[in-house]
Amino acid sequence: MQIRLENLVRTYGNVHAVDGVSLSIPSNRIFGIIGLSGAGKSTLVRLISLLEKPDSGEVYYDDARVDNMAEKDIILRRRHIGMIFQNFNLFSSRTAGQNVAYPMEICKYPKEEIQARVHELMGIVGLEDRIDAPISTLSGGQKQRVAIARALACKPDILFCDEATSALDPKTTKAILALIKDIQKKMNLTVVMITHQMEVVRDACDQVAVLSDGKIVEQGDVKEIFAHPKTEVSKEFLSHLSSNAKDSEMIRWSESPARYTLKFINDKVDVPVISKVIREYNVDINILGAGVQQVSDEKIGTMVVDITGSADMTEKAINAFREYGIEVEEEKA
Amino acid sequence: MTPQIIRLIWQSTLETLTMVAFSTIFSMILGLPLGILLCVTSPYSQGGIKPRPILNEIIGRIVNILRSFPFLILMIVLFPLARIIVGTTIGTKATIVPLSIAAAPFVARIIESSLKEVDPGVVQAARTMGSTNSQIIFKVLLPEAMPSLVSGITLTIINLIGYSAMAGAIGGGGLGDLAIRYGFQRFRTDVMFVAVVIILILVEIIQFTGNKISAHMMAKR
Repeated sequence: MQIRLENLVRTYGNVHAVDGVSLSIPSNRIFGIIGLSGAGKSTLVRLISLLEKPDSGEVYYDDARVDNMAEKDIILRRRHIGMIFQNFNLFSSRTAGQNVAYPMEICKYPKEEIQARVHELMGIVGLEDRIDAPISTLSGGQKQRVAIARALACKPDILFCDEATSALDPKTTKAILALIKDIQKKMNLTVVMITHQMEVVRDACDQVAVLSDGKIVEQGDVKEIFAHPKTEVSKEFLSHLSSNAKDSEMIRWSESPARYTLKFINDKVDVPVISKVIREYNVDINILGAGVQQVSDEKIGTMVVDITGSADMTEKAINAFREYGIEVEEEKA
Repeated sequence: MTPQIIRLIWQSTLETLTMVAFSTIFSMILGLPLGILLCVTSPYSQGGIKPRPILNEIIGRIVNILRSFPFLILMIVLFPLARIIVGTTIGTKATIVPLSIAAAPFVARIIESSLKEVDPGVVQAARTMGSTNSQIIFKVLLPEAMPSLVSGITLTIINLIGYSAMAGAIGGGGLGDLAIRYGFQRFRTDVMFVAVVIILILVEIIQFTGNKISAHMMAKR
């Protein structure tokens, strides 16, 4: 299911929550929408998921316009949209299994089919033994698993994840993201992930759009944006991430501040670049730290270095790196 | 205390129970739809699922007017209605009419506030899944609010026991009637004492049972 947004606008009073968003979300992919609190993420997801109508603009599912449908048709369409939330939003009056049964009950599935599918879905999310458990006895991760099973009950073609991992610890977050990725592949889902966590985008998404003040400021492949962030907002998000990465995934053997960060993307480089640059431009390169960052399914090699030599040669050396397709970031002193 | 008096006390207790039981049922029948309507038609921000400001205002006003009537006055005002419905204005049967109508707005407000306590996120989830409004009411709001509804109903029954005692003062029968006619007007303090103790025991039993049911529901969540 491909989703296309045309110039969406939604205003509350004089606040432009969503301010002219046009976006094409490809079919069968995990698409991230990242933004800070107040960037308009929640409003945008409410518009895409037909919970709210835009002031102007259009929403298309596979080229069929959906935002102007009659309320009755919207209700029917929603039955094939799955959604999971930050706070899980499970029914406390129902057991885990009965929660999963709810969407099928309202779609009037036959009882036996509901029973069978509840077992199947609880198995998929790895909670087959907790079908009769009251919701309050489940951990956060288990609750989100039940919520995922419930969202998948009526075989949706779209799954919205609204800050689905924001209330979970990092380990559980990883497990839930792995589950979503797995399910996405198996069920041919279009997944839209709304988040403020760059880790989520890095670990799960194929493509990402960066939302700021109700506008899309940047969008593209995740690895592309990680390698070449164009806007300040994206860089800001990435900087939070790299400070984490330094702690966990980067090994520094010198704590002295380095001026340059080299990023090796994909397998673009198959020549011994560093030694070549050293020889050609007569500079010294001191490697202070290195590591690998996992971005979705891509790996980005990162190296923190100092380059010493004449200013002229240093600049040439940097340009040479860039010609080889290596991203060079300069730390402003 | 003579056997005659004991028989009288027994009979009055039964009358009170009858009045309270029937007026609880009828006030629920009147108040439940009103309470649901009050919640459903309130603005989105207050948990409404189908906001209807004017309707909400009208029902709210009627409920408030009925609730601000002192019960004794309401009873007298409703005598003609009692005559139409049960054919008399005196006795247990006649008292059920004003009791039910007096308690209905109270029930409506209690139901409304219980339903509004339901987590809006859960209602939103139900909406995303394509629930119709009636599915949200009957499959989400009411079940989710059930422990709180049970507490509300308990409170209603206890209030009705108090009201029914008051209704005794104007010819309604029951324990209140007994306490006034024998205990107060004929200086039978012992009869009054027994009547009050029985009322007290009834209240305790209802409260205990209500708490138990509510706690049992919470324990299963």
